Amino acid sequence: MELNKLLLCLFLCLQGISTIVLWSLSSTDVASQAKFTIFLAVDLLCFAMVAYSYRKLSWGLLINPAWILVGSFGLVVLFLSAIFFS
Amino acid sequence: MTGDSPSKTGRLAEWFDRRLGLSYPLLRPVPAYAINPFYWLGALAVVAFLIQGITGVIMMLYYLPSPTAAYASTEYIFDRVYYGRFLETVHLYTAYAMIMLAFMHMMRDYFVSAHKKPREVMWIVGMVMGFVTLGFGFTGYLLPWTVVSKSATDVGVGMIDALPAGFSSFVSFLVVGAGGDAAELLRFYDLHVVVLPAVLLALLTVKLYMLEVHGISEPTGSERAAGQIAIFPDVTIYLMELAAIFGTTVLLISMLFPLSLPAPYTPALAAQSIPQPDWYFLWIYQILKISIFEGPGLPVALSAVTLIFILLILLPFIDRGASRAIPERPIFVTLGLVFIGEIIMLALWGLMTPGQIIPLGQAVLVLGGTALVIGVISLLAFRLSARRPETVGSPKITGGKLNAFVMTAAFAIVVSTGGLAIGSCLSSFVYIILNGEDLVSVATLGVALSALAVTIIASIFLLYISERTTGRLRRRLTLFERIVRSWN
Repeated sequence: MELNKLLLCLFLCLQGISTIVLWSLSSTDVASQAKFTIFLAVDLLCFAMVAYSYRKLSWGLLINPAWILVGSFGLVVLFLSAIFFS
Repeated sequence: MTGDSPSKTGRLAEWFDRRLGLSYPLLRPVPAYAINPFYWLGALAVVAFLIQGITGVIMMLYYLPSPTAAYASTEYIFDRVYYGRFLETVHLYTAYAMIMLAFMHMMRDYFVSAHKKPREVMWIVGMVMGFVTLGFGFTGYLLPWTVVSKSATDVGVGMIDALPAGFSSFVSFLVVGAGGDAAELLRFYDLHVVVLPAVLLALLTVKLYMLEVHGISEPTGSERAAGQIAIFPDVTIYLMELAAIFGTTVLLISMLFPLSLPAPYTPALAAQSIPQPDWYFLWIYQILKISIFEGPGLPVALSAVTLIFILLILLPFIDRGASRAIPERPIFVTLGLVFIGEIIMLALWGLMTPGQIIPLGQAVLVLGGTALVIGVISLLAFRLSARRPETVGSPKITGGKLNAFVMTAAFAIVVSTGGLAIGSCLSSFVYIILNGEDLVSVATLGVALSALAVTIIASIFLLYISERTTGRLRRRLTLFERIVRSWN
């Protein structure tokens, strides 16, 4: 249970960071808009994972680690893409 | 503060709940089996529509619907408006997603018999919503006033003349207005931002009301669950989860394939370009390019396409069998698979042959071949995967239990892929014979042949499993063994 809560906190922190970053970008040039897209995707993916974990815990079900791994892999890919676009 | 007294947050939530009625049962609870993305394809299409609404309203602040200013204002949104490129890209891809989700929703409902009694009217309303969605695509395509969009729309509008006289003048009035580019663009804009959204929202209200009356359709198999889940907060959280995953996917695609604005429309550029519609109309475009439908044959082609739409609308009154289970509806499931295969085949073919007239023989060969292959393999799969009662004295099978649904789904995927591979093979082969070999056509043929080989192996594997589970292979092997022994 503690690990689940830790994961939830981690995803919430990531969501917060990506939200701050995406609103700090320049809003008209092409590269910044690509990065905006990436950080918004990070935001949504974190939200999806938080909602998934919360739903499973509130229904008294086990969190499937495979989905968390897939989501985390997606986040890594998105962050790497952000580095590529910068 | 005692443990029983609510916290400040709890009291705040209660304050809002009493005033807004958030936790009151406005919508009926959802059965537990509906916690599955396939039950929410329509809801995701609505999410796509909402995103389009938000991005579209922001773009409306800058867009000017006149032939002289439309392209410039689109370019302005693209280059000068904050996050303008992002808005345009997301608007486009959510439109594509909405069309794709609406199609998947329709086909899923078809395969699980969600159109049957008592949901016939829901199906018809859903079909009309699908046409409105296509209408969004058709009207929205013209608005940037690029050479590609204007040329393709001109072809579409030109077909109105081929409709029956009275209907033709009505559609012409509705779409083109007084005539001329300015009136046409204004009509398309009005339809896109006012009329179609209003019609779609009205139809959505009717459909949601009927959903409340009839509830979510029951599963076709034995996986019925008795539990009910409240729409708020449980199902709402699930829907938000799905919407977030959908949004992430759209954003990923937007990042990988950002939109670029084609050249503006000028009559000179239009004369040089080959008109081609967006991907969701490619299948109709390819039908219209078949040589027999050229010129005076155009009304026949339009009648054929209209007939397909009418048959889809009237489906609940055609497919009236009592059974809803997929394994018990081989004919209709096969027809559905053939329909999907043909649509994909026509769209891909249309994409590969822009502006080319398709000879009738080639069309019959490719479309007939695809239908034949998908149809035969599908019916064969149904025949072999059908369970038969065990006869007395037959050897008991100790293998895994056949899951009819999984087997049918696996067969459907293999059959569809096989049909597409056959169609691609035939198409590439005919292209090479007619135009000579080039790298792309040979590579396409190679990929198609490889895909065909894989699907043949997969089909044999699935047939083997099916045979083994139903026991007939074992009986035949036993019979063969007896015959060999009798020879000895």
